[in-house]
Amino acid sequence: MDASLSIRQLTKQFEGHRALKGIDLEIPAGRLLVLLGPSGCGKTTLLRSISGITDPTSGEIWLKDRRIDAVPPEKRNFGLVFQTYALFPHMTVEKNVAFGLEMRRIAKPEITARVKAALELVGLDQHAARLPKQLSGGQQQRVALARAIVIEPDVLLFDEPLSNLDAKLRDSLREDLRALQLKLGITSIYVTHDQSEAMALGDEIVVMADGEIVERGTPIDLYRRPIYRFTAEFLGMTNVIEAQVYGDVAKLPWGEARRIENPATQNVEGVAIRPEDLGIEPVDADGHGTITQSVFMGASIHYWIAAAGKTLRAVTTGGSAPILPNGQRVRLVPPPSLHLLRAHKAGGRP
Amino acid sequence: MKRGIGPLALLVLLLPGVGYLLVFFGIPLVRVIYGSFVSRTGAGFSLDTWVSLFANPVYMDGLRYSLWLAVAPTVASLVIAIPLSALMQANETSRNVFGTLYKIPLVVPGIVAGFLVLIILDRGGMLSRILQPLGIPMPRLVRDDLGVGAIIASAWKNIPFMTLIIAGAMAAINKDVLHAARTLGAGRLTVLLRIQLPLAQPGITAAVLLTFIGSVGSYVIPSLLGPSYPKPLSILMFEQGFQAGNWPLVYAMGTLLSVVAIVVLLAYYAIIGSLGRQKPVGT
Amino acid sequence: MASRAKTSQRLVGFGLYAYLALTLFFPVAIVLLWAFYDPAVGWFPPDIVPRSLSLSAWREVLADRNILPAAGLSLVVSVVVTAVTGALAFPTAWALAQFPFRLKRLVEIFILAPVIVPGIVVAISLGEIFFRLGLTGTVFGVILVQIVGTLPFMIRILTATLEGIPAELIHAARTLGASPTVAVTRIALPLAWPGFAAGGLLTFIASFEEFEKSFMVGAPKVRTLAVQLWSYLGGEVLILPTAAVVTLILLTPMLVIFILAERLSKDDVMAAGLGKL
Repeated sequence: MDASLSIRQLTKQFEGHRALKGIDLEIPAGRLLVLLGPSGCGKTTLLRSISGITDPTSGEIWLKDRRIDAVPPEKRNFGLVFQTYALFPHMTVEKNVAFGLEMRRIAKPEITARVKAALELVGLDQHAARLPKQLSGGQQQRVALARAIVIEPDVLLFDEPLSNLDAKLRDSLREDLRALQLKLGITSIYVTHDQSEAMALGDEIVVMADGEIVERGTPIDLYRRPIYRFTAEFLGMTNVIEAQVYGDVAKLPWGEARRIENPATQNVEGVAIRPEDLGIEPVDADGHGTITQSVFMGASIHYWIAAAGKTLRAVTTGGSAPILPNGQRVRLVPPPSLHLLRAHKAGGRP
Repeated sequence: MKRGIGPLALLVLLLPGVGYLLVFFGIPLVRVIYGSFVSRTGAGFSLDTWVSLFANPVYMDGLRYSLWLAVAPTVASLVIAIPLSALMQANETSRNVFGTLYKIPLVVPGIVAGFLVLIILDRGGMLSRILQPLGIPMPRLVRDDLGVGAIIASAWKNIPFMTLIIAGAMAAINKDVLHAARTLGAGRLTVLLRIQLPLAQPGITAAVLLTFIGSVGSYVIPSLLGPSYPKPLSILMFEQGFQAGNWPLVYAMGTLLSVVAIVVLLAYYAIIGSLGRQKPVGT
Repeated sequence: MASRAKTSQRLVGFGLYAYLALTLFFPVAIVLLWAFYDPAVGWFPPDIVPRSLSLSAWREVLADRNILPAAGLSLVVSVVVTAVTGALAFPTAWALAQFPFRLKRLVEIFILAPVIVPGIVVAISLGEIFFRLGLTGTVFGVILVQIVGTLPFMIRILTATLEGIPAELIHAARTLGASPTVAVTRIALPLAWPGFAAGGLLTFIASFEEFEKSFMVGAPKVRTLAVQLWSYLGGEVLILPTAAVVTLILLTPMLVIFILAERLSKDDVMAAGLGKL
């Protein structure tokens, strides 16, 4: 089924606060799109508008060639997975999963078969007769997932489903979610504020701030070649360095110059160098900066360097390299080409 | 930071409140129970009074009528309190003005509730004046056999109480659970019946039982609006006491009403006890 | 779409206010009409609205020797009852809220008992006892009997209020150097006083409007306003206009006080006070 979603100029006004300021978004069928942003950016409001729980103030939502923004939520055939699991506490696992099928007046034998299949898919068919309170958080979320997919929805919507789980469980369930989505090929939208989750999951990420879309792209594009400073600072760590720009060459404050890979003239905020791209070499004298702090993280070593009047971050791989002491003078080695960042009118600090 | 406290200090703290109730409630209550086992002649322990109570159709009808005047308003209030509570969940602005106004009958005394029913529902009251030009005949609602007027007055007073408790129970349900039901295909009515009511169950039971207990001894409303026969035990108690002076009979009726209330209360604790072994609302 | 949400919201609002109109505004309007109709012209069926209005019912009420004294008596009695109830309730509430002790559950159940046992039983039995003690027909007797009804609720409201103060706050204040007195006066009291005020106001209302106990013990010599109202409704003849005026005199201050108490208290404190078990 071609369940592509199209959102056109969607706005949502709460009292005294514009939560969504004109969102335009196309989601191709079968893809997993992540909505990423800080709290208050509107990602949850957008998701709830798509599901029908919240009514948008204006704008249109289309499912392939059908307009659905006026359709009540019980008729949209979307599956929702919530942060709080939202299982029906007074019903068994089986009845929870069967609920959507009951609403669709499907014959009992077929309900039983489909519920069983869905529970097997999430590995919980042994627990069909249990009550939600008898399950762990991870298990409850799997039941919620089974409940959402058993109705064969056109779209799957995830509202920070892993935030209530502890870290290790989060990773394994995230893998399972992704595997399931790929296998079933259901168009999906996934909301999160966790950037590492977003990068691990999405075909594409949409970065949001202040009710607007800032930028959209694949994880690699957004990480290595972000257009806006907001995106760069929200996805992982980055050094934003003021540089003097001459055409397509930038000169860094400590003297080195490099080619710019994405020259631009308007709204330039600076040059982005990821800590893992900033090389540091210990020198006996001179050099560009001084190490002020270091943290050993096991697989990597993080350094804070005072250089050119700022504090820069650098990350080197752990291995067996010695940890450079505080006060060590170092030479800074920027990457072969530099990436410019622009300012976006929306995002302030990430 | 709950430390213990010496027993003497504890006694001193509890004495004013608990002591007052012991003297002015406990002692009279004991006297009521004890006094019911005395015969009219006052000659020691006797079951005469109880026998005459159960044998006399006036009092058995009275007991039935007391129960009727407690059950009927409770059911009527429930039928209105549930939709009212559900609507209040759906509308956030109910928080303010409506949220205060609907509670007003809580502080209107029973006698005024009776008065309101009199001026609206009695013969010659407002309702009959409105219906008359429409040619609709009005049934007798005050001093009628079923006590409809009394039931309406009681229900009017009880609705805010029930709504307060039931709306509170519904508000405690995790909203995501309701949203999940909607997205799975349930319309608003289905959500109410299959999700909200079952999950608000302990609250609904509490409201029902408390309302019943509160109504079983009502005096003013049946006195103003009820029929001349049968009279509920509360009115019979007054008559037998302050008019006929048959105090053992009064005590027997009082004990009987108290026993009914306590039995219902124990049923309540039993029900919420068994429900408590299931999960409370939410996730 | 926005309009769908707005219409359903409006429908719900309409439903709620229709309920209020039927159960509140409509009865109040009729009471007002009865209080202001012109007895010279009368207000008989089939008239839905009186043909002319007048203040004569008010003049009669103010001239009536019984009503204003009854109102004054109610005021005095209610103030005394509220004060005494508060004084009796506070130590008990303090003990229940602050200290765990064995028999606590028993004490709680005993405090609840006057709410469970039907009020008429308490009223009639105390009426008889006070008669033997010569306390019927006295203001003192009415005060004593009303307190039996108000004390359980006040204890429960005060206990719920005190329990609502997180113990961590007092603890934090102590670790910051506050003495126990300061911790109570600067931290606990400011947090508790709205609940206390609400409890006091609700007790005042309960006492002012109380009928059965005051009737059994006080009538006919001592009449609170509620008992006085009974004489216009419970006798052979219904005196509707006077009853309407007395109702308005009785209810208007009570409604104002109630709205004040409602703003001061959280719903669960109110529910505890009003008898949620």
